[in-house]
Amino acid sequence: MIELNNLKKVYGTKTALSVGQIIIPERDFTGLVGNNGAGKTTMLSLILDLIRPHSGAVTSKGKIVPETDEWKNYTGSYLNEGFLIPFLTPFEFLAFIGSLHGKNSSDVKDFLNKNRDFYTENIDSSKYIRELSAGNKNKIGILAAMLPEPEILILDEPFSNLDPRSQSWLKMKLKSLHLEGVTILISSHDLKHVTEICTRIILLEEGIIIKDTKTSPDTLVELESYFSVQV
Amino acid sequence: MYQLLNHQRKEKLRSPFWTKNILMNILLGFLGLYLIVTALVVSFMAAGFIREEFEGRDVIEVFTAFLFYFFIFDLGFRFLLQQLPTLSLQPYLTLPVTKSKLIHYPLLRSISSFFNILPVILVLPFFIMIVCANQTGLYSTIWIATVFSVIITNNFLNFILKKYFVKRPVLILAIFLVAGCLLYFDSIGNAPLSGYFAAAVNAIANLPFLFMIPLIIAALTYYFAYHLLRKNFYPEDSQTTRSRPESYSFLNKYGELGELIGIELKMILRNKRPMSVLIFSILFLAYGFILYDDPDNHFNLMLGGFIMTAAFAVNYGQFLFSWEGSYFDSFMVNRVSSFNYIKTKYILIAFSGFMTFVITLPYAFISYRIGFVNAAMLLFNIGISSVLLLLFSTRNSTSIVLEKSQFLNYQGTGAMQFLMIIPLLGIPLITYIVFLILGIQQYAVFALGAVGFAGIIFYRPLLQIVVNSFVKRKYVMSSNFRKK
Repeated sequence: MIELNNLKKVYGTKTALSVGQIIIPERDFTGLVGNNGAGKTTMLSLILDLIRPHSGAVTSKGKIVPETDEWKNYTGSYLNEGFLIPFLTPFEFLAFIGSLHGKNSSDVKDFLNKNRDFYTENIDSSKYIRELSAGNKNKIGILAAMLPEPEILILDEPFSNLDPRSQSWLKMKLKSLHLEGVTILISSHDLKHVTEICTRIILLEEGIIIKDTKTSPDTLVELESYFSVQV
Repeated sequence: MYQLLNHQRKEKLRSPFWTKNILMNILLGFLGLYLIVTALVVSFMAAGFIREEFEGRDVIEVFTAFLFYFFIFDLGFRFLLQQLPTLSLQPYLTLPVTKSKLIHYPLLRSISSFFNILPVILVLPFFIMIVCANQTGLYSTIWIATVFSVIITNNFLNFILKKYFVKRPVLILAIFLVAGCLLYFDSIGNAPLSGYFAAAVNAIANLPFLFMIPLIIAALTYYFAYHLLRKNFYPEDSQTTRSRPESYSFLNKYGELGELIGIELKMILRNKRPMSVLIFSILFLAYGFILYDDPDNHFNLMLGGFIMTAAFAVNYGQFLFSWEGSYFDSFMVNRVSSFNYIKTKYILIAFSGFMTFVITLPYAFISYRIGFVNAAMLLFNIGISSVLLLLFSTRNSTSIVLEKSQFLNYQGTGAMQFLMIIPLLGIPLITYIVFLILGIQQYAVFALGAVGFAGIIFYRPLLQIVVNSFVKRKYVMSSNFRKK
């Protein structure tokens, strides 16, 4: 479904990402792990055509991402606050995203009612997004990514700033979306979360893939030993 | 106390603005110098001028009456330009510094602002040369003390007005209008407010105990400014509660384009800086009263037509994409067609031009020609200027903080803003000059209108050029926007 071929991104003299080939097939549930600066966000940004690669290309359903806008029809994503429009209320924002995908505001209301347990704040509140807490901003972004019922869902650090209850809700939700056939790609610092829900783990270090495996019962232990440090 | 002073100084000095924008600083420096020199010249020349023009009247009285006008304008300029003297308080709230100190201090410091130095420079030479030389020591002392009290009153009154009116733009417009009317009636002699002011100052200087009055007024404004700031002390206080957000459901039937226009309108109305651009552009329309002094001057008419139909477009359009810097990515990853995205901005510029055209149509009462010239310039601005603005905007990629006020805020201003003006004003200017050489300058606006009309007919291919440039530039733009 998504293919990264000889993809390279350089900032100044530092190579942010350099991968030979990654193929993410349909119905894959991939977790990206790695330290800060390992290239996780760079990789997701390249897939979303937010930055231009120095060489190589990303294709989505066989089409090169920067050359068409088609992937936007079936890709839902949330990387950071820059995806939110700060002066809208949460509902206005979701209704706007919905409208771009042919959903009217009652569709959006239904969607929110279904996911009531995740965003527990009053959705009709007149607070603007810029006034929300970091966790609630994150939640709105994730909901906006899921709202268009995408075939591919891409989330950067979705568990950060979330309270424990929302974290477990999100885990369940991602699992069930995966069962419904959605292709999911997330990055996370939380090794437990990703090994628990992802079917495949990609470990990045300084822009290079160190490990690319199917999740097995041993994966968590392996990853923990990789990241362990002596104090 | 000294450390607070130090921090405030550092906050100013270390703001990224200074290091980034040298050109702007030099220009500001020149502006300041120019104002000071002007004030000095006016002050030195005032006595001679008054003796010549107002023969037989008391020089001090006339000068004082003029000061009344000055103070009214001064208050207006302060309102637009002078910033509230707040230290970013949040880091200090938990430290052992008393609250009142945190407020008194920046408030008192504001007295040394340029806005207070300028009036002093304007008054002092006149005071020394004329008032001191012709009046008793006591009269002079009280006179200058009264004038200084008014300056101080203006200083704090401005903060009160600012704090109170900043969220009520309609009231601001109303106040400007009322002040304008008062000055007008004063100048034609129906309500000689400036005369009363001069008489009051004279009376106070003659009866020194009355000096209590301006002093008390100054103290009162300080007291109210202090309390207003104190009431808004906590960071959360500056957030206001709103009634239900407005909706623009009438836009819904236009699909994606309507949605995008709705978002952009909300952006303008809900954020401080674009909102102040809007207000400023509307105030700017009053420029016509000066410009249309001579309605037979073709060049003035053309310039007026340009300003009347492009005031908002130029002010707002110079940051067309920068406004959206903080959420640009949301347009990049969602299903928004680049063409519609660009077209949204085109429609907005065209619509704003049309609105300002309608608002300024009453100028046609001065001369019917104004109406025709403005209509031609409207066509030109929609057809040609807006496309140029869009094209240049794709070259401007500094993100703008929407929540900061506009005035004297040069964030995002760079060489591109100045370059932009060249073709926008240049094309009409060159057309005019060419037609002037040919001796048919009265047809210059016809030509511009015709070109603009053609531009509107062919808006699709023209916008496609912008879209192509936008698609090429969008990576650079979005990565610069992310830097903040």
